[in-house]
Amino acid sequence: MHKEETRTDLGLIKIHKNVIASIASLAAMEVDGVKQIGKDLRSGLLELIDRKTVASIRVEFDKNEEVKIEIPLVIKYGFNIPEIASEVQENVRHALEKMTNLCIKDININIQGIERG
Amino acid sequence: MRIFTVFGILFYAGIIILVGLGLIVLSLNILQPQDISNLLTYTQHSLNSRIIIGLAGVLLILISFSFAQLILGRFQREKTIAFTTASGEVTIALSAVEDLIKRLAGIIPEIKELRPDVIATKKGILVDLRVVLKSEANIPELTARLQEITKSKIQEVLGLEEQIITRIHVAKIITVEEKKKRDIEKQEPNIPFGDYGRV
Repeated sequence: MHKEETRTDLGLIKIHKNVIASIASLAAMEVDGVKQIGKDLRSGLLELIDRKTVASIRVEFDKNEEVKIEIPLVIKYGFNIPEIASEVQENVRHALEKMTNLCIKDININIQGIERG
Repeated sequence: MRIFTVFGILFYAGIIILVGLGLIVLSLNILQPQDISNLLTYTQHSLNSRIIIGLAGVLLILISFSFAQLILGRFQREKTIAFTTASGEVTIALSAVEDLIKRLAGIIPEIKELRPDVIATKKGILVDLRVVLKSEANIPELTARLQEITKSKIQEVLGLEEQIITRIHVAKIITVEEKKKRDIEKQEPNIPFGDYGRV
């Protein structure tokens, strides 16, 4: 799995994709109106074998070291989806920039479902 | 992309026609099993023909994979509503919109059951509703209200200005007696020999 690398005077700092996914997941869940992070086939299978992961959040690095994130979400009933999506994008961007100093290119939101809050 | 799809469809149609023709030829006894055996022996005879056949097999598998991916990807894309914000793209699964519409059954008491089917078309969002109503409902008034609520709720939650076409199909009307009967059946399930031994 690809890791984001930063060189300092003392050595190399590597940030794993899963760390970025975890930060994105926590930041997304902070937003009022988000019920849960959505699931895909891979994360569902991993959950079956009791591996707690954030596999459903996709993190990609491009050639310019920019990060592209795709977050599947389940929204609570009664909330305005574009507003929630926009708030999640802002919160995730803010959290990632604050914690990792990474350059975020895209934060794509995929609304998978709506559930009672 | 469209040419590739047409090519793929023609390719698979051609293969299926060839298989069909082969079966017909076999059934009519035009081609003998010995001929097929000779053909297979000839193809395995030299190294060159074996390499050609192997490569053709690999090519067929690759074409199949890419074609399947193209079709599945297209189906997946068509199942979402997408819009772009400053930070990236937002896609909403049509099943999420269906979940949202299902919740409307709780708002209108005359609706017993509601099954939505949402399709995103170039003209806008097409909502097909299959409803089961209670007998006390005034159908024209209720369906008009349902159409209005569906439209406003989708526009409110999705924040989209696209045209929303709502089609309603009343599948069944449940009478009061039928409803009572159903409720009793739900409350008191018949236990075999339940009264056994009671005086």
